[in-house]
Amino acid sequence: MSTEIVSLSVSRPRHLSVTRVIGAALLLALAAFAVLGPWLVQADPAQQDFSASLAPIGGEYLLGADHYGRSLLARLAHGARLSFGMAFLTMLTAAIPGVLLGLAAAWRGGWLERMLELLANIVLALPGLMLVLLLLAFAPGNFGPLYFGLALTLWVEFYRITRATTATILKQPHIEAAKLLGFGSGYILRNYVLPSIAPLIATLAAFAMATAIIAISTLSAISVGLQPPTPELGSMIVELLPYYAEAPVHVLLPAVLIFLLVLGLQLVARKDNP
Amino acid sequence: MRQFLLARLAQAGIVAFVVGALCFALMRVLPGDAAMRIAAGRYGPDARIAEAADKVRLELGLDRPWLVQFLDWLGSLVRFDLGHSLVTGAPVVDELKVQLGASVWLAAAALLLSLMIGPTTGVFSGLRPNGWTDRLGLAGSVILRSLPPFVLGLILMLVFAIWLGWLPPAGFGTWRDLVLPALTLALGLAAVSSRVTRDAIAAVAKAPYFVFARHKGLPEAAVVRRHGLRNAAIPVVSYLGLQAIYLVEGVVVVESIFAYPGIGHALVHAIVERDIPMVQGTALAMGLMFVAITAAVDAASAWLDPRLGRVQ
Amino acid sequence: MNAPANIRELLISELSIHSGATPIVRNISLSLRPGQPLTLLGESGSGKSLVAQAVMGTLPPELAASRTIRLDGADLIASPPEERRNRWGRAISLLPQEPWLALDPTMRVGPQVAEVHRFVRGNAVSQSNALAQANLADVGLGHAGALYSFQMSGGMCQRAAIAIAHAGGSGLLIADEPTKGLDADLRDSVVTRLKQEVEAGRLLLTITHDIGAARTLGGTVGIMLEGRLVDYGPAEQVLTAPSHPYSRALLDADPESWARRAPTPSEDVVLAGRGLTKAFGAHVLFKDIDIEVRAGEIVSVVGPSGCGKTTVGNILLGLVEPDAGSIERRMKVSPLRFQKLYQDPPAAFPPHQTIRTGLRDLAKLHRRPWSGVEKLLTRLRLQNDLLDRLPSQISGGELQRFAIVRALLLDPVFLFADEATSRLDPVSQKEVIDFLIQTVRETGLGVLLVTHDRALAKRISTRTIDLAGADEARPG
Repeated sequence: MSTEIVSLSVSRPRHLSVTRVIGAALLLALAAFAVLGPWLVQADPAQQDFSASLAPIGGEYLLGADHYGRSLLARLAHGARLSFGMAFLTMLTAAIPGVLLGLAAAWRGGWLERMLELLANIVLALPGLMLVLLLLAFAPGNFGPLYFGLALTLWVEFYRITRATTATILKQPHIEAAKLLGFGSGYILRNYVLPSIAPLIATLAAFAMATAIIAISTLSAISVGLQPPTPELGSMIVELLPYYAEAPVHVLLPAVLIFLLVLGLQLVARKDNP
Repeated sequence: MRQFLLARLAQAGIVAFVVGALCFALMRVLPGDAAMRIAAGRYGPDARIAEAADKVRLELGLDRPWLVQFLDWLGSLVRFDLGHSLVTGAPVVDELKVQLGASVWLAAAALLLSLMIGPTTGVFSGLRPNGWTDRLGLAGSVILRSLPPFVLGLILMLVFAIWLGWLPPAGFGTWRDLVLPALTLALGLAAVSSRVTRDAIAAVAKAPYFVFARHKGLPEAAVVRRHGLRNAAIPVVSYLGLQAIYLVEGVVVVESIFAYPGIGHALVHAIVERDIPMVQGTALAMGLMFVAITAAVDAASAWLDPRLGRVQ
Repeated sequence: MNAPANIRELLISELSIHSGATPIVRNISLSLRPGQPLTLLGESGSGKSLVAQAVMGTLPPELAASRTIRLDGADLIASPPEERRNRWGRAISLLPQEPWLALDPTMRVGPQVAEVHRFVRGNAVSQSNALAQANLADVGLGHAGALYSFQMSGGMCQRAAIAIAHAGGSGLLIADEPTKGLDADLRDSVVTRLKQEVEAGRLLLTITHDIGAARTLGGTVGIMLEGRLVDYGPAEQVLTAPSHPYSRALLDADPESWARRAPTPSEDVVLAGRGLTKAFGAHVLFKDIDIEVRAGEIVSVVGPSGCGKTTVGNILLGLVEPDAGSIERRMKVSPLRFQKLYQDPPAAFPPHQTIRTGLRDLAKLHRRPWSGVEKLLTRLRLQNDLLDRLPSQISGGELQRFAIVRALLLDPVFLFADEATSRLDPVSQKEVIDFLIQTVRETGLGVLLVTHDRALAKRISTRTIDLAGADEARPG
């Protein structure tokens, strides 16, 4: 009944939403801290100085020191680099095969698609974190199984979304029209499929990184992920927890850093409508 | 309906296979004597272990092809013959019974709390999209989703247990021990379900059948009750299927943080202690719990939405 | 069945509707009496739906109506919202457009009728159920009370909506695009049903862009353009001798009024299918049909939706494999010279690519000079400034003409036009058809036109193949 009304309201100008800009700025600042921080802050994150145990913020140590007297600023910078870097690496390891296999399954169909669907269903039969936990049982506290397990659970989402979206696009009349007009597969892939799935993949990538950051810190916090003295944000929180009464802000700092990282990724990945 | 059940049964089979295969591999790759470990896992460490190990070595025959051994392994898994814990020596099944009970209580309490928080906020947000309740709900949801459950749990613990002293920080026994872990999980779940509800309500309010129900002359209460609630509940319930992942993962994390003696806590402990029979038993139980939740969600969805499972 | 509430007159005088200070509907005066249905014709955006919304009292809050709408003396514009809402179902009933979306998918049809008796008229549960059953039987749905809307055809859903209107017993029916998305045969049965409502003493206000429906309904017809009522009077008069040029163009665009203008074909067969058979699962679409398209002719395939007429064209183009039969193409012709036009023009263009990029890449791929493109654009009267827009920013009629340009660039010998004009408004449909006929005459192109519009097929094609026989089916 409201065909007329629709035409009245669609002519709003398109603009980048404020939340996305804030998210991008936040991520940029955190990325700078993660990349440049360890290089600017000369302090060694593992250097112990018992005379500075739980040194307060703003003193000799800019953000204070932990119970072993290690510079918190240095540990936070290295922790941010570790979380960010590992999340990025995991995301890439999941995204590249996920997207390629999704494209292949949608394009070729047949037995290839059936095999990949079965594989995806096997991975999805268990909640992702449980699969990572089981793989961690092979070598608790090690980087390898953590990285492999996360990539193994995260690729499925890239695969499924790419496959489903690509299959929908390939069924559309404009693809059939392009084929009738003589355009080849390469042209169709580059000009019609990739521009349509790229924004989705970007959103998924941000969510995948957020998931990886949460998983790494969580597993380290429950002492099956990365182990001290590695400056990992989750294990830093748990290490500092017994001293919450003397230095509550020290405990909160790594938590705030994780929160800001995930928040930035969430804001960037948000849909434009509120 | 039948198809859903078959799909979930297949999923349960896959869960058993994946868990069994990984634990079998674990048994073979860990350094040390596999036969010794298997013997301890089967008969408990207090049995005359060396003798038992010899028996196991003969019986499993590390000379037999590994495929045969693997099938054997899966066979006992399917019969729920899960062996003994390498640490306590107690039969795994007995330990699971206790832990599973504790975890089911936690999961149920969390789910109930989240349904009280999430959809309620969602309804108020969805009735006035972009109103201040909606914006507040959105901000809360984004913030909660940016907090890993263990951080949220620690914050709640610091505030309610340590600063305010209202609730115990850890433990198990009374309902008071259940509140903080359940609330941690519930807030995480509600962060998403409130937004799903909000979108569902806003979508139903614009749906042609909802508008038509008003145009038929029905009073507003009848419009909402007869044509709003059920339709809005469909996406919320089917989303619970996805939330089951969060719930099961969250149980592992939250139990570990609050030292709550459930199955997730046991799984993490077993991994740290390399107690393979316990790893296998707990992982299997959690996996099957996950399948059971999704199957229940499937059934609820099919009951709510007549379009599912019917030939058009 | 309930006797309709006795309403003697709906009188709209000098109705205007404003969005802020901008008028969208200007100065409309109409009247509606028993036995004299009123039909408002016009394309989307002409404001005809807003008039219906003003009567119903459902205008969006940002729009304001002024002057009067009187229903037997009661002023509908001045009445407070509760009073307006109180009339819904009791005095005024709206037949929703696309009723298959307006019925609740989670409730059986019977209870959706019964609830009107129960909550609007205050009957007991068992009595409501019995009355609802009678309402359903009355529209020929006595057997369908236990079905869900997704188990019913479009026509059945439309009749269920009418049963709901009967249940409320209202005296004024507003039918909003009652034939939208329906096949020709189904359309006729819906219009017949609406006529019966008029004969039963109800007032009927119909909003449509379907000239055929307006003609069948008779009574009074109004034609709207850009928010004004440009023609108004008895149907016989307005639909035969309209006064306003737009009305004339609108009526001329109706295939029913065209002279027969099929191009004369040559002897040269460009494409033929012999003994074609296709089934989807157990459902046989068609069996053993022969079809031949010669250079310079238009061959039409007609039939209700779901009968497989699009599949015939796709088989001829080699896009779908037939279960049996063979395709013969004229020898030594490049496969690129067999082209297709699509039903939904925006879907036939990539959404992220401007028209210019698409045409430039096509010209480059086949080594055609850009001047060739420009020549075609001039011929199809397409403005150059449209080239830099995205498909979503161009009207359907213009897009369909771009699709013709795209196809003609490859010198086609055969063009499969798959419902190519069914989503266009009548005036754009006529333009596209005119260009198509002109091209067929000039280039000797052979066209296979798939359509549900028998009148159109009859006027412009040398031969028509009828694939009737499939049951009434829900549109797309």
